[in-house]
Amino acid sequence: MIDTSSTAGQIDLGGSLLTGSGKPFDRKKRLFVMNRLFRYVCIAAAAFVCLILFLILLLMFRTGVLTFGEVSFSEFFLSTEWSPETEQYGGLLFIFGTFALTLLTLIISVPLSLLIAVFLSTFVPTWLKNMLRPVMDLLVGIPSVVYGYLGLTVLIPLIRDVTGTGMGDGLLAAALVLTIMVLPTISRISDDSISAVPKKFSDASYALGATRFQTVWKVLVPSARSGIMYAVILGMARAIGETMAVVMVIGNTPQLADSLLKPTSVLTSNIVMQIANVPFDSTWNYALYLMGFLLLAISLLMIVGVRWLQGKGVQQ
Amino acid sequence: MKLNWLKVATVAALIATIGLGSVQAPTKTEAASKLSGKIVINGSSALLPLTLQASNEFKKLNPKVKISASGAGSITGPQSVRKGIADIGAVDWDATKAVPGFEAFTGQVANKVAVTPFAAVVNKSVTATSLTTKQLQDIFSGKVTNWKEVGGKDADIIVVNRAFGSGTRVNFQQKALNGTDFMTKGSNYKEVKTSGDMKTAVESTPGAIGYLDFAYITTKMTGVSINGVAPTVDNVINGKYKVWGYGYYMTKGQPTGVVKEFIKYVQSAKFQNGSLKKLKFIPLSAMK
Repeated sequence: MIDTSSTAGQIDLGGSLLTGSGKPFDRKKRLFVMNRLFRYVCIAAAAFVCLILFLILLLMFRTGVLTFGEVSFSEFFLSTEWSPETEQYGGLLFIFGTFALTLLTLIISVPLSLLIAVFLSTFVPTWLKNMLRPVMDLLVGIPSVVYGYLGLTVLIPLIRDVTGTGMGDGLLAAALVLTIMVLPTISRISDDSISAVPKKFSDASYALGATRFQTVWKVLVPSARSGIMYAVILGMARAIGETMAVVMVIGNTPQLADSLLKPTSVLTSNIVMQIANVPFDSTWNYALYLMGFLLLAISLLMIVGVRWLQGKGVQQ
Repeated sequence: MKLNWLKVATVAALIATIGLGSVQAPTKTEAASKLSGKIVINGSSALLPLTLQASNEFKKLNPKVKISASGAGSITGPQSVRKGIADIGAVDWDATKAVPGFEAFTGQVANKVAVTPFAAVVNKSVTATSLTTKQLQDIFSGKVTNWKEVGGKDADIIVVNRAFGSGTRVNFQQKALNGTDFMTKGSNYKEVKTSGDMKTAVESTPGAIGYLDFAYITTKMTGVSINGVAPTVDNVINGKYKVWGYGYYMTKGQPTGVVKEFIKYVQSAKFQNGSLKKLKFIPLSAMK
């Protein structure tokens, strides 16, 4: 080593890279192999992720679709009688519950988050903004079981007192817990997208004599529409897939929720309640897999939606 | 010089500690310390307090043995054993025989470990703490929905039930409700996953009724007397109180090695008459 460096001291590193030093395994060749190798490793890693996603989808679908060997398509999607002990596999009540819960969550959380986002992006002095944004980011990171526990110990007794019902478990409790969970997500991303609207837009609006209120609702929010939609879909995906917090406050009774205060069940909570207790290789087990596949399909569709909206971006 | 002295003192202290520790350790666990291995236990959450206590004591005696125990519902036990996920499946009925709703698990051995007494429990706010079998049947099937119909205050009855697959549910349904079906829906009906969840729900919901094994009953709830017989260990032993069942550890074939030793420990007179009794389970020997 020392020998080589003293005799070939004139050749700089760049030169050895371009021409090589003539040795059988010199730096140029080593780098070439390493670069190639690294590239393949990266490609393999990316392919691996795709493979995992594909395998998960395949497993869920293959197991789930076995349900229809015993249960008719229309029974699973149209019946609300879920009692696997007596061979009744009506999944509609869970699908309905999931959608009702998500919709209710969005109805409460979107207007609130939008107000928070507008407040953060336009009305707040910089120093307060710099304090509030990290707080919102921290809120996103709170584990869902903490929210569920607070729902169980604080929210449900409160609902019991306010409404006078006996239990308090149900869609309303779950939607309120989920609202608190998705609020920071939606408002932070909306805040970012409103902040990203070019200043010239609001300048022009003010120059035309618009008030601050008009500027916000007629210029800023419409310009940031795609970003806000992106935020809403992300929040929605979190609400649909949330399990732990929901299972603690929804009541887990397999019945169609015709009231906000009636204990019911959704896809996620039903899976987590029952999956450990069902015999393997039973229709019951397959039906739970099918529910898992439905959840997966719904959230994948949403992610596709997110990518599509992201591509659009803020129009300048 | 001073530093050197300090160093020497520290090293000496360290050596002394290690030496003493290694001298002490064998005297405590000399007999069984050769035993090593890993045991995974899953299944009944009713038996979980017992399993946890036993595994703590067993680990103290055999420091090289690792035990991980969890509870999700009885049926999980034999299922996990069949799949090879767990070495021991705790279950509240003899899973080698079929019970209503569950098939028999062939190729498994049921090792009797305890007598588990169960009781209907109500929230502290409920004054009707003595019910007949008929009243219990009516409450859990949803026919009676207000506490005043069974001699209590005017308040809704909140029925808390365990999810299908629970051994506590199987035992309670067979022995306290004489096989009557549970209600499956209603505005004041909910299902929970484990005995721990049941405990939380009954403690925190005014007007709630549920059922638990004695080990979970706290001062924040009341055990219901059935047909005038209070749910006490003595009443179980003298045969007046009927709602109890054997707890089993299911194994794949006859237990071997460390699993066998663990089950032996749980069945030993020392554990049965000591910790097991303290947890309000009943020793197997008491029921003969």
